Amino acid sequence: MSVSAPLLTIDNLCFDFDGQTEKTVNALELSVKKGEIVCILGASGCGKTTVLNLIAGLLKPKSGSINMHAEAGKKNSIGYIFQSDPLFPWRTVEGNLMLAFDLNKSLDRNRAKETMQQYLSMFHLNSQILTKYPTQLSGGMRQRVSIIQSLMFDPELLLLDEPFSALDYYTKLSLEEEFCQLVKEKNKAAILVTHDIEEAVSMGTRAFIMSGGKLAREFHIKQETQGLDNTRGTEEFAKHYREIWSELKTIISG
Amino acid sequence: METSATTKLVFAQRLLYPLPMVVFVLVWHFFTQGNKERQFIFSSPEKVWEALERTIISGELLTNCQVTVTEAVAGFLLGTTIGAIIGLALWYSKLVAQISKPYITALATVPIFALAPVVISWFGIDIYSKIALAFLSTVSVAIVQSYQGAMSVEKRFLRLMQVAGATRWQTFRLVVVPSSIIWVLNAMKLNIGLALMGAFIGEFISSEHGLGYMIVKASGLYDQATVFAGVIALIVIALALTFVIEQIENRLMRWKTV
Ligand SMILES: Nc1ncnc2c1ncn2[C@@H]1O[C@H](COP(=O)(O)OP(=O)(O)OP(=O)(O)O)[C@@H](O)[C@H]1O
Ligand SMILES: [Mg+2]
Repeated sequence: MSVSAPLLTIDNLCFDFDGQTEKTVNALELSVKKGEIVCILGASGCGKTTVLNLIAGLLKPKSGSINMHAEAGKKNSIGYIFQSDPLFPWRTVEGNLMLAFDLNKSLDRNRAKETMQQYLSMFHLNSQILTKYPTQLSGGMRQRVSIIQSLMFDPELLLLDEPFSALDYYTKLSLEEEFCQLVKEKNKAAILVTHDIEEAVSMGTRAFIMSGGKLAREFHIKQETQGLDNTRGTEEFAKHYREIWSELKTIISG
Repeated sequence: METSATTKLVFAQRLLYPLPMVVFVLVWHFFTQGNKERQFIFSSPEKVWEALERTIISGELLTNCQVTVTEAVAGFLLGTTIGAIIGLALWYSKLVAQISKPYITALATVPIFALAPVVISWFGIDIYSKIALAFLSTVSVAIVQSYQGAMSVEKRFLRLMQVAGATRWQTFRLVVVPSSIIWVLNAMKLNIGLALMGAFIGEFISSEHGLGYMIVKASGLYDQATVFAGVIALIVIALALTFVIEQIENRLMRWKTV
C-alpha cells in the first residue's frame, strides 16, 4: 500500500435514529490518511459523536460505506477515546493498561509490558502510577492512561471525542503536544472531535465543520502533523482561526 | 493537634456504642426487680444471665448454635451463590430475564413461613429442610440484587469492550462480574438475616435441634429467660456473620477506600 493511500474512506454515509425525521448523518464523505489528524467542529447536537460511533462500529450505517484499509489480520484497527474515560475503578492502572493483553492472550506479555513502558514515558507518566487505582489519579493523568489503554491495542486510527475538554489549560496543552508527537512518531491517523477552534488549528492537519449531516466545509491547515510549539501565535494560526470562527459563527447562529 | 482531637472523638464514640444497651438493661432490671409477676412475663437481666450460664455450661446452647449456624450458613452459601450466578447470567439474555422476572418476584414475595410445612414434608425434619428454607429465603434476594448489578454496569465500560472487539464472555467476566460485586455483597448482607430466619422458622415448626427448637421448648415451659438467652445467641451469630461479610467486603472493595 502506498504511503498516500487512505486508511479510512467513508462514502455517502447516512444515518438517522429511529423515529427522527431529519437524517443525523446525511451523505457524509471523508477520507483519512496515516499521519493525519482530522478535526471535526460543529454545533452541539450536529452529529459529531454519531459519526465517530459509526466509524467505531457502535452504530450501523443506514446506507453508504465505511472502509478501513487496515493491515491484513489486524483485529483492533480502531481505538476510541471518550470524553469520560472508561478506566475500570477495580483495576490498578497497570491492570487497565493490560486490558489489550487480557482480551488477546496470544500477545506476548513481556512485549506488552515493554510497549506500556514506552507509552508511559511518551506521555510523561512515572511508572509508579502503575500500582495506583484510577480514583487516585488527576483528570489529566486519567486521560493519558485512557489514551495509552487504547494505544495498547495498537490501533491505526484513533477516534477522539472531546478528549481534552475537561482538563485545565496547561494540562490540555501538554496532552495535545504529546498526542501530536505520538501520531507523528507512530504514523497513526486520528479523527478529533472538538469544540475548541484553537485545538483544531494547532493539532489538525485538516479541519471540518459539520452541518446538515455532512462535513460541510473543509480547511487545510498543514501538510502533516507537527509539534505545537511553533504554531500558536503565528500569523498563519490566526488566519486559520479567523476563517474557521467566521464560518462556524454563521452556521451556529443558523 | 487535630489527630489527637479526632482520636478523642473516636474514643468518645466507642464509649457511646454500648450506651443504648446499658440503658435498656437497667430499665429492664429496675422494672422487674422484686416483682414476681413482672419477672414471669418479662423475665429479668439476672435470670437471662443465669439461663445463659446454665445453657453454656451444659453445652446445650453451643450445640444448638452449631446446628442453627450450620443450617443457615449452608443455605446462605447455596442461596447466594446460585442466586448470584442466575442473576448475573440473566444479563446474557434480555428475553430470559423478562420471562423470569414475574417468577422471581413471586418467589421473593412468598412468605417463607407459608412454605415451611411443605418444605419440611419434602426434606424431613432433619437439617436438610432447614437448609432448603434458608436457601429459599436467600436465593431471590441474590438473584434480584445481582441482576440489577449486572444491568447497571456503566455504559462506557461496555462501549470500551465493544470497540475492543471483546466477546460476550470476556465482557461478562471482565466487566459485568467485577462491577456487580458490590451488589452481590449487599445481597450477602441482607441474606445473613434471611438465612438465619429461614433456618429458625424450620426449627421452630418442627425439629429436635437448633436455637429455634430450644426457644420453642423453653416458651412452652414459660421459661422466658431461656427464650431470651436463645434470642441473644441469635443476635450474636447474626453480628458475627455480618462481621465476616464486612471483612470480605473490605478486601474485595479495597480500590474504593484507597
Ligand atoms: N441514542 C440516541 N437516540 C436518539 N437520538 C439521539 C441518540 N444519540 C444522539 N441522538 C441525537 O442525534 C443528534 C446528534 O447527536 P450527537 O451526540 O452525535 O451530537 P454531537 O455533535 O456529538 O453533540 P455534542 O457536541 O453536544 O456532543 C442529536 O440531535 C441527538 O439528540
Ligand atoms: Mg458529542
